[in-house]
Amino acid sequence: MRIKTPWLLLLAMLVASLALVGAGCGGDDDGGDAAGTESGSGTTEEGGGEAADQTITVNWGTEPPSLDPGLASDVTSANILLNIMDPLVKLDDDLNPVPSAAESFETSEDGTTVTFALRDDLAWTNGDPVTAMDFEYSWKRTVSPELGADYAYQFYGIVGAQDYNGCDAKKDDCAALRDKMGVNAVDDKTLEVKLTSPQPWFIQQAAHHSFLAVHKPTVDQFGDKWTEAANIVTNGPFELTAWQHNSRIDITKNADWRDAASVNLTKVNGRMISDGTTAVQAFEAGEIDVTSGLPPDEIPRLKDTPEYAQYPGLGTYYYGVNVKTITDVKQRRAMALAIPRQSIIDNVAQADQLPATGFTPEGMPGYDAINPESTFLPAEGDMEQAKALMDEVANPKTDITLYINDSPGHREIAVAIQAAWQELGIESTIKQQEFQQYLEFLGPPPNKDVDVYRLGWIGDFVDAINFLELWTCESGNNSTNYCNEEYDALIEKARGTEDNDARYELYGQAEEILFGENGDMPVLPIYFYTYVQLEKESVKDSYEINLLDQIDLTKVTVTE
Amino acid sequence: MTTFIIRRLFWTIPVILLVILLTFMMMRQIEGNPFRQSERAVPEAVQRNLERKFNLDKPWYLQYAYYVKGVATYDLGPSLVIRGRTVNDIVEEHFPVSIELGLYAFLFALVTGVPLGMLAALKHNSALDYGAMFFSNVGHAVPSFLVATLLIYFFALQWGDVTGLPTSGWSSWEHKILPSIALGLGPMALFARLVRGTMLETLQQDYVRTARAKGLRYRRVVGLHVLRNSLIPVVTAAGPLLGFIITGSFIIELIFNVPGIGQYFVTAVNARDYSVVMGLTVLLAVIVIVANLVVDVLYGILDPRTRDART
Repeated sequence: MRIKTPWLLLLAMLVASLALVGAGCGGDDDGGDAAGTESGSGTTEEGGGEAADQTITVNWGTEPPSLDPGLASDVTSANILLNIMDPLVKLDDDLNPVPSAAESFETSEDGTTVTFALRDDLAWTNGDPVTAMDFEYSWKRTVSPELGADYAYQFYGIVGAQDYNGCDAKKDDCAALRDKMGVNAVDDKTLEVKLTSPQPWFIQQAAHHSFLAVHKPTVDQFGDKWTEAANIVTNGPFELTAWQHNSRIDITKNADWRDAASVNLTKVNGRMISDGTTAVQAFEAGEIDVTSGLPPDEIPRLKDTPEYAQYPGLGTYYYGVNVKTITDVKQRRAMALAIPRQSIIDNVAQADQLPATGFTPEGMPGYDAINPESTFLPAEGDMEQAKALMDEVANPKTDITLYINDSPGHREIAVAIQAAWQELGIESTIKQQEFQQYLEFLGPPPNKDVDVYRLGWIGDFVDAINFLELWTCESGNNSTNYCNEEYDALIEKARGTEDNDARYELYGQAEEILFGENGDMPVLPIYFYTYVQLEKESVKDSYEINLLDQIDLTKVTVTE
Repeated sequence: MTTFIIRRLFWTIPVILLVILLTFMMMRQIEGNPFRQSERAVPEAVQRNLERKFNLDKPWYLQYAYYVKGVATYDLGPSLVIRGRTVNDIVEEHFPVSIELGLYAFLFALVTGVPLGMLAALKHNSALDYGAMFFSNVGHAVPSFLVATLLIYFFALQWGDVTGLPTSGWSSWEHKILPSIALGLGPMALFARLVRGTMLETLQQDYVRTARAKGLRYRRVVGLHVLRNSLIPVVTAAGPLLGFIITGSFIIELIFNVPGIGQYFVTAVNARDYSVVMGLTVLLAVIVIVANLVVDVLYGILDPRTRDART
């Protein structure tokens, strides 16, 4: 073997490599302000008329785990689905249900039968008409035990759905249970739903992506693979045109959609950049027009750029208290009062979250009635009153263990709260766990070692019941050991109350039991979530995220 | 040689069975529920349906048996979390991306690292030597995520107009340059130091002196005798390194948004996606075994003395 060494080439390589390192070393000093000027350059553009090219590139953030309406259970999947499919009803800006694929909807006198009348001009992208049968099939498919859908429980309010979902093919007659489920296509255009009880929020709930229809022949033909771009048949304003897993999802305007004339965007290129810093860099380099999931430590810098946008969310960040270890309600009240919510938001969380004075987040319909000027949990906390209350505690538990999961940001908040509680004479030990382990650890059944734990709750649908039912005795999300029959009775009563105002009042009473002056305080709400993102000024006017973190792309227009 | 290879391949079977068993046991030991990915509790009926669907309601030895049978027929099972996709889909779609990235990085490391090490050795104790070794130390010590971030900052953000390089993605050749360099810098430094070290040693050997003494040209001595004998440690290091480098780097793939398989190693464990974790571990085991086998075969070619002992 003869190997000749090409000296010149070697030398060239060395020079090139050294240049690389030289570039790397010089970088640190001018890092900060260079990025600042970068983002400032966008301001020269004036918001003008519609741009000729109605194409945008967004960052979906992550690979959607599934684009099957029955199986999807995360925000990214929901966002794509709600733009490529046509829901029966949509939520308007105030979160009221408005007709979409359903021309109208009607609730019977006793509140237990809901009838949707479908529009005449609905079509699948392969030309087939969309019928009420499609919805009946899809809902039953989602509830079926074979599909194993996370969101099957969304349907439990429908007669027979829970029985069908819990059916074991070895013991029960699943087909019979399926037929008994209370969703029925009366004819091509009429869908009748029988509910187990009056559920005033059911219409809103039907806007959830799990209530979308799927195209049966496609599902039958391709099985698990029906959602791939080459196979999928949809019925919404956009079509899925490309799906490269973990890389990109592109959707294109569906020119044959019933209301295509109202849709301005012709194409939405979607990337999946899961790392926040990478996404911000791609945004600043002009590769994407919209990105969310900003890294917390970048937010203070990005906040000052014109591209920064922020929306209130339907979610609550809270600490649960184990009422069996911290038994004295006065101690719990003192701990609740001592938390300086606003300064935690300003100095630690930093995304302009709203201080949570109750569990139902702001923006929830009826919020003013549910949480009227909460006097007990002030935004800034009230250390004096907290100390006074703490003095009244006969046997305070002064040594507590506070559990959080190890995702970024939680520890900083826990340390701030730990400091506040120290002023009350409470020494708290913060323990962190990896998320999956943490969830198992917390239960329910509640873990005896936990005195206080951190969690958050994001609403599935737009009614306060979705938040307040968490604290009932049997709730699967209640790890506080809290069980108050009076509270449960109120929630039960609210479930059956159709009149919105009357129901909101009941919710208000429930909040009072938890957080009023004489509240039980099994939960210490900290803040209500906000969604923050970067939006190029060309889409900034029309790109709006709603309380459920959803984007309606039919409303987006690219301006010059 | 053939018997050697066959015997080695035969031995991979128990190794892989053991790898599966250990991974299987360890995944079951850590707490967590693949069907609960958010703070929302999963209703009992839903949990039961899912366990039944994915055979998690069966005793562990049956699950293990099903799995081994699946692996034998190249059916790595469905993902428990990314519904509708199988582990085969994931491997087939994302593994080639990681192989591609790994190969570019490896090539970059070889074509820069080996010459750099040679230069340093041949110009021993010169400024060139010190420069090369300083560079190699820096490349070795600076973590790849920092290199990646700096590369993006300068070549894509600051000088993006000139270089035309994008910050992230994997759709064109421009996208592939920065991640390959970022991933290859560490191995490059390793190669450079290895080559320099062994080459300095080889240059002192008697046979080099003999070759020179009998009048062979210096270039020919270096090219034919020194280089060949100096490459053995490089090959030893390169085999397993190539195995790891092509199975994906979580951090580089994350920073450059490369749709490779590396990030699945991390996300699948976090999500308790048992079948994906198992599938990827088996994949990694096979690759490391094959890489070591290739190294052993290469030894035989580079160093005839090792050949007889094995056949």
